[in-house]
Amino acid sequence: MALTHSRLFRGTVAFSLTELRVQLHESTAVVTSLIVQVVLLLFVFILARDLLPVALFGAIVFSMFGLGQRVQNEAAFVRIDHKLNELYMAGPLAPEAYFLGMSLGVLGGYIAPVAVLVGVTLYVVGISATTALVLLFGTSLVWLFASSFGYIVSTLFRDMRTIWPYASIFYNLFGVLPPVFYPLGFWPASLTPVALVLPPSAATALVQSTIGWATLSPGEVALAVGSLLVEGIGVFLFAIYWARRTVREN
Amino acid sequence: MTTEALFARDVRKTYTSRRAPPVEALAGVSMVVHPGERVALLGRNGAGKTTFLKIASTLLRPSGGTVEIFGHDVGSRPDDVRPLIAVVPQEGKPFFHLTPREQVFTYLRARGYDGRSARARTEDALGQMGLQEVADRLSITLSGGQRQRTMVATVIATEAPVLFLDEPTIGMDPFARRAVWESLRTLTKRGSTILLTTHYLDEAEALSQRLYIIERGRVLVDGTAATLKQELGGTLRVSIRGGGRLEAQAKEFGSVLLDDGTLHVITTPERLAELIGLAVREHLTTTVGPVTLEEAFLRVVGRSIDVEE
Repeated sequence: MALTHSRLFRGTVAFSLTELRVQLHESTAVVTSLIVQVVLLLFVFILARDLLPVALFGAIVFSMFGLGQRVQNEAAFVRIDHKLNELYMAGPLAPEAYFLGMSLGVLGGYIAPVAVLVGVTLYVVGISATTALVLLFGTSLVWLFASSFGYIVSTLFRDMRTIWPYASIFYNLFGVLPPVFYPLGFWPASLTPVALVLPPSAATALVQSTIGWATLSPGEVALAVGSLLVEGIGVFLFAIYWARRTVREN
Repeated sequence: MTTEALFARDVRKTYTSRRAPPVEALAGVSMVVHPGERVALLGRNGAGKTTFLKIASTLLRPSGGTVEIFGHDVGSRPDDVRPLIAVVPQEGKPFFHLTPREQVFTYLRARGYDGRSARARTEDALGQMGLQEVADRLSITLSGGQRQRTMVATVIATEAPVLFLDEPTIGMDPFARRAVWESLRTLTKRGSTILLTTHYLDEAEALSQRLYIIERGRVLVDGTAATLKQELGGTLRVSIRGGGRLEAQAKEFGSVLLDDGTLHVITTPERLAELIGLAVREHLTTTVGPVTLEEAFLRVVGRSIDVEE
């Protein structure tokens, strides 16, 4: 038997390529992944054209956040409907690799539409080097948080119907309601810390501050950066632990 | 430490829930599967077969007892056990948006096989399961039987030392079932060990070298299909419709069982004519056939395998 991987995270690349193939065969889902963002951008374009730069950056962050929901649905479907987690877990593929591979596969499948959004943003409003760096930092951590959170949530339910309402609640509570598609200044000032703690709006606030649509104090910048780091990395580490913990049912 | 492929001692499992009373799924199951053996777990729905398989394959925590795979304890050393096993889960389905070829190939890659080896094994497994014609169609477009064959192909391609198959031929047509049996026989000739659950009695009889009958979380019988049938005391089953009134007389010819108004008598060829004569004199319809595992199961469990728990 020609085993080629080390034990830690064994099989991550192979399983991410498996998941990538699965996603790419669902090209309709990939193409339609931008529908919500495009509709919201259209509304903004019609109602308040000057907010389009904010909304475009928000759409990029929102798209990366949306990948978490896709991980959640995919992991739940594979486990509940297909029972394929049993096939993979009762084998040498490391549980951590299963989670990480699935997250990376979904990212790979859906990154093209996000790249299109980045291209449109670059063309319409331009992206400075600073903004690009902040965007990369924020969206990476938003993706890490959302994918990890999505995977954890996927393990908590025994049927798909139960999971859908929660998915919708998280999606809207974290991604639509807070100031992601609109300026932080439109959000109640007393609730600014809340927006800076939620990963999507924290990332967006940092981006908005680089393009002049939000003014953040050093403390607020620290809060947004700290929240993104702590929540992104913290939830990711917990998901790594949880992936192994949940291989065996009680 | 044991060198047995599977060694289980007093395995217990009780499912607890805040909303329902505890359910004892396994009440002390012990078994041994030798390297290279094909062993079937037979039992009615809810007997505990899948629970045992899940515990043995590191997917479920037992409430008590131990299971070892080639000497590695599944409870404390699951990472040592997992490379040694492969599982066809009950009601498992391949990724709908992968083709059978992709499913098998990517699974082997995820298990650590290099590309060339994975490709060769994939083609071999697809061939064994008769999936070449649909190998490049997405699984979502395949029939239930074809999907099940894809699952079996995925697992047999691994040639893992121990294979667990939970109802592997469910939904398959008779030809496909025989193809699976043949592949599993070949695998054990090459050294793999197979533990499968089934409630197709003909499958257990045709495929397994040894079988365990499980009922309500307990092993009732450990033996071979042949010995179980021999214990019935005859090689022929005579079924006499409406023969209840002959029960006392029929006992002279062998073991009897009255089921839904029909009297089944297990007897020998030497006494067949005499028994049929008895039924004919009473103007009763009689059918004769060879004893099957079904009669043995009925005798051991007291109910047909198709009767739900």
